[in-house]
Amino acid sequence: MTEYAISTKNLSVAYSDKPVIWKLDIGVETGSRTAIVGPNGAGKSTLIKAIMKLVKPVSGESAVLGSTHKSALKEVAYVPQKGEVNWDFPATVFDVVLMGRYVHKGLFKRPNKKDKKIALDALETMKMSQFKDRQISELSGGQRQRVFLARAIAHDANIYIMDEPLQGIDITTEKLIIDTMKKLQAEGKTFLVVHHNLNTVPDYFNRVIILNKEIIAAGPVEDVWTEDNINAAYYEKSDESWIS
Amino acid sequence: MDILTSYSFLIVAIGTVILSAAAGIVGTISVIKGQSLIGDAIGHATFPGVVLAFMLFNVMETSILVIGAVLFGIIAFQLIHIITGSSKITLDSALALVLSGFFGLGMALKSYVQGNPYFSGTQGIDDFIFGQAAYMLKSDVYLIIAASVVSLVLFFIHYQQLKIYTFDPVYARTVGISIRFMNVLVLAMTIMLIAVGLKAVGAVLIVNILIAPAVTGTLWSNKFMTVLIIAAASGGMSAFIGTYISTALTGIATGPAIILALSVCVVFSMLFAPKGILAKRSRLRKLGEAV
Repeated sequence: MTEYAISTKNLSVAYSDKPVIWKLDIGVETGSRTAIVGPNGAGKSTLIKAIMKLVKPVSGESAVLGSTHKSALKEVAYVPQKGEVNWDFPATVFDVVLMGRYVHKGLFKRPNKKDKKIALDALETMKMSQFKDRQISELSGGQRQRVFLARAIAHDANIYIMDEPLQGIDITTEKLIIDTMKKLQAEGKTFLVVHHNLNTVPDYFNRVIILNKEIIAAGPVEDVWTEDNINAAYYEKSDESWIS
Repeated sequence: MDILTSYSFLIVAIGTVILSAAAGIVGTISVIKGQSLIGDAIGHATFPGVVLAFMLFNVMETSILVIGAVLFGIIAFQLIHIITGSSKITLDSALALVLSGFFGLGMALKSYVQGNPYFSGTQGIDDFIFGQAAYMLKSDVYLIIAASVVSLVLFFIHYQQLKIYTFDPVYARTVGISIRFMNVLVLAMTIMLIAVGLKAVGAVLIVNILIAPAVTGTLWSNKFMTVLIIAAASGGMSAFIGTYISTALTGIATGPAIILALSVCVVFSMLFAPKGILAKRSRLRKLGEAV
């Protein structure tokens, strides 16, 4: 399992008695930009939540850099879906980005000058410096997503896992996120991204996992991004009768 | 001005001011998370614990009654958790059920105790309903100081964790912050302050010292630390004014007096704070003129 940034073995997750993902064996190559695509209810978010150990699998396991232990997650910066945070929290954009430094801190977790510098640089990367003192509830959807990505950059992780980061955002932000992703990939970072726009997969990613509860296909985009595979995920298994 | 320099007033004022400042800080977490009423249910639920502790030991000793209060606070919280987790009853219904059920039990026990010649000195129980700081002893104040210091130390040791946990619980989990531990921590700090504050503020109104200062704080600032400082300041100031009023005017219980002072702060802030009604109106007006 060690050559992969992220891997799963026989991973199954179920909510109540319905399986959401079933016996997944995946390997996300180190230094890749890997997309997870599939129809609604295919288990894309569930897969990354299982990798982040936010949901408990009914069977199998997942590993980050070869380790199944929770502590390996420190190597992962997670960008959740926008709806999961408390927007009324009294914090500025800068406060939120500074939270990304948490994993690197000692006993009292107090950020120092160096952490603040890193947070400011991350804001600059996401072109959000001018909003650093802005209350988070006053941001637009695209700006919020930039703040989350800046927090992930401040985290300074080797692996980035993002849950639909491009959903409901403006085209400028989308381009900025993709450019940043490509730049960080060039530095050796790994990306695993839940993605819903099928048209942009070949432009944005170099590897893809096509998912519909099971793996339909996985590998380099040029090999597996075929009409047959996409149809197999989106049309042939869209009902639930496959569960025997 | 005699009151301000009187020794007994100062002792009581120190107690209520420290309590309300600490409660203002700790209560901010529940207010931001939108869980204020859990504190109310716990506050009311501590009352039967106080009466039962009195019945068991037959002494009006705050340190013993506080143990009953803490136990019942924990039982009430667990019950809310069980009710919402294992049935279709919603959180607000569960809170209402637990709040009134436990308080009703406390009142029934109180009538029983006060009508029973076996128990002596039972009128002191009434102080725990609305609070009567005038009857507070030095030992009561020590207890308040101890609980406040412990909760504030716990709060600021876990400051960064509490911040991330309150803002973004999912992210908190992914960076290794245990949500269960944070829940227990917030609950422990809350119950501790409620229990020691009962005699000063009373079971019925205690939730207000957890909620009102935090509401005031969030109306004035967008920065978490500033919100905490304003909450502590408005809590402490209101406690001082309330204690003064209840000492100066006989017949006014301390709890209601403090709550009145806190409410004045909240109303003033709702009107005049940067995030208040008037500021919002003037922003909209300016926008209208610009258009």
